[in-house]
Amino acid sequence: MSKYSRYVVADSSKCTGCKACELACFAEHNKKSNGVGFTVGTVEVPVTPKLYLTKLEAYCMPIQCKHCEDAPCLNACQKHAIYRTEDKQVIVDENKCIGCKDCVMACPFGAIAILPKSEKGTFKLQKDKEVVKVASKCDLCEGIEGGPACVRVCPNEALQIIDADCETLAKNIRAAEGLYASRF
Amino acid sequence: MRHFVKGNPDLCIGCRTCMIACVVAHEGRRIFEIDPDGYDFNPKLHMVKTAKISIPVQCKHCENPACLAVCPVNCIKVIDDAVVIDQTQCIGCKSCVEACPFGAIDMIAQVGTSQADGSKRVVANKCDLCVGTGDGPSCVRVCPTQALTLVDEDKMKEVVNEKRVESAKASTYIFEAKEEQ
Repeated sequence: MSKYSRYVVADSSKCTGCKACELACFAEHNKKSNGVGFTVGTVEVPVTPKLYLTKLEAYCMPIQCKHCEDAPCLNACQKHAIYRTEDKQVIVDENKCIGCKDCVMACPFGAIAILPKSEKGTFKLQKDKEVVKVASKCDLCEGIEGGPACVRVCPNEALQIIDADCETLAKNIRAAEGLYASRF
Repeated sequence: MRHFVKGNPDLCIGCRTCMIACVVAHEGRRIFEIDPDGYDFNPKLHMVKTAKISIPVQCKHCENPACLAVCPVNCIKVIDDAVVIDQTQCIGCKSCVEACPFGAIDMIAQVGTSQADGSKRVVANKCDLCVGTGDGPSCVRVCPTQALTLVDEDKMKEVVNEKRVESAKASTYIFEAKEEQ
């Protein structure tokens, strides 16, 4: 098992802003709660992704959760609705979330949004008939076969899962080899 | 999205002006000119001071309020993007006080009303974002250090988008570094 939590990062030089990642994310998560795996024609609720395409003047890329080791969102949540799995992923328990927006304000990346929750193709409603809105953020496709849907569907392979521990090891080896080459 | 007031502990000096402004806005009386014992001082936000910080704590106006869900008489309602308690209907069961994870609700003796046995009516009290007063939250307006901000949908979008843009800018360095390797 990895020493640190893993996360997905996009290479903005490859991203074309097609939003395939957003749609795949929604479709994959909705398969669990709504029983639909397709977007066009089968979904009657708004598309609610867990990563958010951000467009700048020069480039674009999706922004998503870094699954921080000392997560500000987890620390801010007074309802204990954000927890860490055994795999070290930071996950929102949408059934516990009361929509207080503290995590949204706490996240320094803007990786969390308050979005309406739908179940079985319809909106989940509160006692006063208002739509339930919960904090929505990347869960690294927890429990979904094949891993993060966004990584799988990106046509330009702009997204990749980062494992900081493995990366550091690889870098260390390269640096050691560099030192060997530059020995005197 | 529902609006809420967010405090910045780096700016708050704990002067409690927000609490006084809250009472002035809701009592509708000139509290500075009457006998201090002649009215009940019931602010809807509370200054919290610890060894490290001072900041007023108040209702977050949650999207799925726990207080609203537990209220047995449905006296907690959503009015103009604010979660508001109808104190005339409240029976003082304290369920909402129990349900709120922030401690944003307290029980107060309502002025000018009494129960059948003549004792004071005690009802739930919490921030209503000064709904109906027209000027927006008084606490935000009076804070001498501008430590309080009203976060509405536009403000939230602005804050989150700014963070996303900044993190998008920052992450280009990661891949530039990767290419160099």
